[in-house]
Amino acid sequence: MSLDTIVIGAGHNGLVAAAYLARAGQKVLVLERRDVLGGAAATEALFPGYRVNTGAPDAGLFLPRIVDELKLQARGLELIESPAAVCALQPGGRALTLWRDVARSRDEIAAWSPRDAERYPDFVDYMGRMASALRGTSTLTPPDPHDGSARELLGWLRPALRLKGMGRRDMMEFLRILPMSAAELLGDWFENDALKGALGTSAVLGSMQGPQASGTAFRLLYHYQGAENGGFRSSAFVRGGMGRLAEALAAAAREHGAEIRSGASVARVLVEGDTAVGVRLETGDELAARRVVSCVDPRRTLHGLLGAPALGPELNRRVGNIRYRGSTAVLHLALDGLPSVPGVTGVEPITAHIVVSPSLVDLERAYDDAKYGRFSARPCLDMVIHTLLDPALAPPGRHTMSATVRYAPYDLRDAGWDEQRGRLADTILGLLDEYVPEVRPRILHQRLLTPLDWEREYGLTEGGTYHGQMDLDQLLFMRPVPGWGRYRTPVAGLYLCGSGTHPGGGVTGAPGFNAAREVLRD
Amino acid sequence: MAHRYDAIVIGAGHNGLVHAAYLARAGLDVLVLERRHLVGGATVTEELFPGFKYSVYSYVVSLMRPDIIRELDLPRHGLTILPLESTLTPLPDGDCLYRDADRYRTWRDIARFSVRDAEAYEEYGRTLFFMARAVKYLLGIAPPDPTRVRPKDLSGMLGLARHMLGLRKDELHALVKLMTMSAADFLDEWFETDVLKATLSASGIIGTFLGPRSPGTAYVLLHHYMGEIDGHFRAWGFAKGGTGALANAVAGAARELGVEVRTDSPVAHVVVRNGRATGVALENGDVLEAKIVSSSLDPRQTFLRLLDASVLPDELVTAVGKFKFRGSSGKVNLALDAAPDLACLPGHGPHLRGAISISPSVDYLERAYDDAKYGDFSRAPYMDVIIPSMIDPEMAPPGKHVMSCFVQYAPYELREGTWEEKREAFGDTVIDTLSRYMPNLKEIILHRQVVTPWDIEQTVGLSQGNIFQGELSLSQLFFLRPAPGHAEYRTPVRGYYQCGSGTHPGGGIMGAPGRLSATAVLRDLRRPGGRKGQT
Repeated sequence: MSLDTIVIGAGHNGLVAAAYLARAGQKVLVLERRDVLGGAAATEALFPGYRVNTGAPDAGLFLPRIVDELKLQARGLELIESPAAVCALQPGGRALTLWRDVARSRDEIAAWSPRDAERYPDFVDYMGRMASALRGTSTLTPPDPHDGSARELLGWLRPALRLKGMGRRDMMEFLRILPMSAAELLGDWFENDALKGALGTSAVLGSMQGPQASGTAFRLLYHYQGAENGGFRSSAFVRGGMGRLAEALAAAAREHGAEIRSGASVARVLVEGDTAVGVRLETGDELAARRVVSCVDPRRTLHGLLGAPALGPELNRRVGNIRYRGSTAVLHLALDGLPSVPGVTGVEPITAHIVVSPSLVDLERAYDDAKYGRFSARPCLDMVIHTLLDPALAPPGRHTMSATVRYAPYDLRDAGWDEQRGRLADTILGLLDEYVPEVRPRILHQRLLTPLDWEREYGLTEGGTYHGQMDLDQLLFMRPVPGWGRYRTPVAGLYLCGSGTHPGGGVTGAPGFNAAREVLRD
Repeated sequence: MAHRYDAIVIGAGHNGLVHAAYLARAGLDVLVLERRHLVGGATVTEELFPGFKYSVYSYVVSLMRPDIIRELDLPRHGLTILPLESTLTPLPDGDCLYRDADRYRTWRDIARFSVRDAEAYEEYGRTLFFMARAVKYLLGIAPPDPTRVRPKDLSGMLGLARHMLGLRKDELHALVKLMTMSAADFLDEWFETDVLKATLSASGIIGTFLGPRSPGTAYVLLHHYMGEIDGHFRAWGFAKGGTGALANAVAGAARELGVEVRTDSPVAHVVVRNGRATGVALENGDVLEAKIVSSSLDPRQTFLRLLDASVLPDELVTAVGKFKFRGSSGKVNLALDAAPDLACLPGHGPHLRGAISISPSVDYLERAYDDAKYGDFSRAPYMDVIIPSMIDPEMAPPGKHVMSCFVQYAPYELREGTWEEKREAFGDTVIDTLSRYMPNLKEIILHRQVVTPWDIEQTVGLSQGNIFQGELSLSQLFFLRPAPGHAEYRTPVRGYYQCGSGTHPGGGIMGAPGRLSATAVLRDLRRPGGRKGQT
């Protein structure tokens, strides 16, 4: 039995690629180092009796097209949508909730700023129009300005026409805001700190930069893509946990004949001449295949599994220069009951993201610490209580709370993460004492994942959850490195299919989808 | 009304004068009106203290387009550029990094810190040289509008595309990176020595409200690399007699071409009749008529002060309102009793004839920016210091010296207090910071002048004291400068043009906006009835 394709890594993108390749008739083997599927979008029994989404908390950006084509709903994928988008906790026990329903958000904002409330519906409309320029681009192979084929360029004609169809004013506006900072963009619209702080949180995902950095307006837009219904960011959760998405993808792949092996760690991509011919496992076993598709991040794939000599000096240098700079930590808590959240009545407002980011200035100051190699003294928190919409994730009456914490830079200056881990946990809980004091007394279990843990346990270089920062110079044909933005590598038969390729990070499935298409094209 | 000019140019800054000279060269009867008593705008030399002359605001020359120097024959009108060949970066520990025109000596000095960096430095210089050449193309064209399908825009975009694709693949990639990255990230790809990265990244922050780690600063770094003197790229120079000598040379050339330059003539507003500019009204009530009016003032002045907003489309008024100025730099001009001694290199060697950069580490610059982000001037600011009298002895009385300190960051908007209250405290911070590197400085100061962004706004008229007439950020460049759809030097008011640094390709003593806009005016005038302004 000879294999057509070996996919390295059963992250969601690896599984998407495997499912599409198998569906096209290829003989596919997926090798996953860990025991659970899903990579950084997995659900794990971190604490006995609890199922915790260890990495990505929601699946709102996942492409509906993949759900349909791979029949994921029939294979157990169920999305639960919260009516809320973000509940932003404020000093003094107040809270501002932004809903998917624009009118409801407007009424809520009116208590903070009547002027901003008036503008909010226009803003949502505006962001929707701007984000529509990106629509459809995520499933296209980035054109290479030098050797793009006619077919690839034709594919970009539609988004180009859509941009054109936006009308002159919107098109200019789109081009103007792409390189802007989120702070500038939000400042153009709003005056209220609470509102801007709440909106700004999604702009700083995916890069170690503050809201004043140019390019953060683009990231704000990137997150609006998954929220066409007026919420400004995705709040679609997976019933049973994010792992169910991986399982549904795995089921689709298996049905088409793919084999998925967990606990199988790849040590090396084997090359003969300049062609990939298979992989060697940590156990020393060698597996032959006609091609190898890696959903592991680009540096780990090209430097770690392939080895620098195969790249040549120029590409080698470029791969070494990819900016990862993981700066996200996640604190997972098991709670003996639901803490009451000051400023919030009922549970509806807290069924999506609960954030502590009272202003863009606080967010910027949190970033300042990270610039000098410290974790934020007052970090920005983005929390989800998954058990509110899906109680089966915890024993009866119990809850989980997962807090994404920014900024926690991979490179700490004074001492490593193993020494500073406890201090960060204290800092987060101290901040929670101010905003949701009932959390600490209810903690039964806690587990902090630092960027170092992301690297060691999940294999993410520098703990970069997006497989490389989403900076303007690391997008499109420059992702992962300039000139290699088309899923291929200098080694024939070796492909990249992870978040380190276009369109980038987040649980979209698009990189895996695109990579499978390119493999089949070859 | 007695006389109707062909063109009236508002503001005798270097761009206004270049613009006027090119119009006159094409045979137009041109009048330049300047509010102050002298020409030059931010390009002036003034004798602030008896015998001590200063380039009060801008202080070095390098970006001035060589074709303008040649075509207007500026050397004959008194322009002499003296090279400024070295940069010294002193360190707090008494060491320093010294780079000058002697490649071998520079290699050795960098190699003291890192041999790898010394090797990379030459290659870095070459790469930036090629990048600057690639971008220079943009300095010579009026920006095409990508959202329109007029033949002019299409051919402009096509020319641009052809130019870009004509670059080697790695050049194009480097260029795209340069356009979007931070100066610190860009330099991290090249070097490991902190002080070298810091002093190189400093040219990425000049005139911006950004830190070396802010994306977009790599482009500003490149912008400052485009300087050419006598065909040598990246050559910085000092105009003999100060930067005012450059303005005077352009004014001399303009006058010889028949331009009338009137100082002490502040313009109150542009006279618009039936959607067409017909002249200007002075503050003293006089009305002067002209076929066309060009403003070299910044976009806010050009559109919102000189015009009644009602003659402009709302979107332009909004866009100009959003245009970011955020002046971030100040200047401290000192009169010294003697040349200063540097702790790291005592004595009065050739290093005093170059620039002294207070940029010991990337963190130092970034912290300086942090202060400004929250509305304070930097407690330990970045500085670019030169001692013009070491290069041009006529700038100071014999044996005495003038010292020019460009200081960043000094945010226009202070969190607390006003610049009038904080001016001297800011000056003290500058002197204290400098004294750490020049121990005898305080004893030799005879006079000092502190220029804050507020002073620049008050005296020169630049909104918020921004020396580039608006930030050089990606969202304010090329076809977006100063406003989307209004980047071709024309305005919605027929016969009214913009010709200052607030238009493409932006600030610095370059002259390119003045010249490109003159080309646009002349093209319109050649058409029967003139070109209809766009809306």
